[in-house]
Amino acid sequence: MHEASIVSGLMRVLLDHAAQHGVDHICRVTVKVGRLRAVEPRALIGCFEAFAEETIAEGAELVVVSVPIVGRCDDCGGEFEITGFLFRCTQCQSSEITLISGQELYLDSFET
Amino acid sequence: MCKECGCDSHVVAPTPGPRRIDVVQNLLSENDHQALHNQEHFDAHGVIAINLMSSPGSGKTSLLEATIEALAGELRIAVIEGDLETENDALRIRRHGVPAVQITTGMACHLDAGMVHDALHHLDLDDIDLLFIENVGNLVCPAGFALGQHADVVLLSATEGDDKPAKYPVIFRQASRVLITKADLLPYLGDFDPARAAAAVHRLAADMPIDVLSAKSGAGMDGWLGWLRTFRRQLQPLRRSVSHK
Repeated sequence: MHEASIVSGLMRVLLDHAAQHGVDHICRVTVKVGRLRAVEPRALIGCFEAFAEETIAEGAELVVVSVPIVGRCDDCGGEFEITGFLFRCTQCQSSEITLISGQELYLDSFET
Repeated sequence: MCKECGCDSHVVAPTPGPRRIDVVQNLLSENDHQALHNQEHFDAHGVIAINLMSSPGSGKTSLLEATIEALAGELRIAVIEGDLETENDALRIRRHGVPAVQITTGMACHLDAGMVHDALHHLDLDDIDLLFIENVGNLVCPAGFALGQHADVVLLSATEGDDKPAKYPVIFRQASRVLITKADLLPYLGDFDPARAAAAVHRLAADMPIDVLSAKSGAGMDGWLGWLRTFRRQLQPLRRSVSHK
């Protein structure tokens, strides 16, 4: 259940930014999670509900946006989504790949 | 124009309606910051830190015991042990005359940078060349939490399935090196094919170095020990530049 640790980090970042903006109520929170993070959205939402209790985010909806793993081939320059965790270029089969997305784990925005 | 009376002189404060605030901040920024701080500690003292990860029972502690014996008199080793409960692994390591700090995480399924930092207070980094951090046995959670390590080593024992890398791709992809352990049992198991395991790893990371070894018999240990020596030598310039600041 590393989701609990992640949500504990989320609450710190969220409440910090809410205080900076003088916000006294939060109704929706959007986080972006790359598929390489091995984070289970339902566990994240469950933990968030518990951690948000008795804070200004109590009852807020947590929206988890899953970010696909996208790579760019260092050999042919093609960009492609990596599915099934096969880290090969879909065009030229090269394994020299630079990841463009898939490792995200951040608070994107929140709404009052 | 004022909505209340139609005049032009009243200034009406905007109603604080719903609004969206963009943030874009890493959820683990506090852990990442602490991990960076740990690595600065390691570099300032010339310590190479290696994070060992695997499922429970894949032979991390046995590998460490064999490694400590093999490198005795050559490299000064210390170990941080992470387990949910008990001091058993630290006791095993200390029997080899090596300092070991046990972190009992209670319910936490992984080590984080703060726990490692607390453990460092119980070690004299000036007396250490190689620090092994034996993470909690788990192939999911430890992958996401940086500790300040210089390398991640992931173990896969022959008593597990050779498709484990396909089932737990994130942690195997992240590794600097993969060790297939308990190789002495391969003839008795029959259904674990090291070539299949390697192929599963190489789907994730084509260049991943893999050692097939047995801490018990010593077979294959040379590749692992050789890598440790080379890796430490490669990081020496970094170590000097930091410690002379």
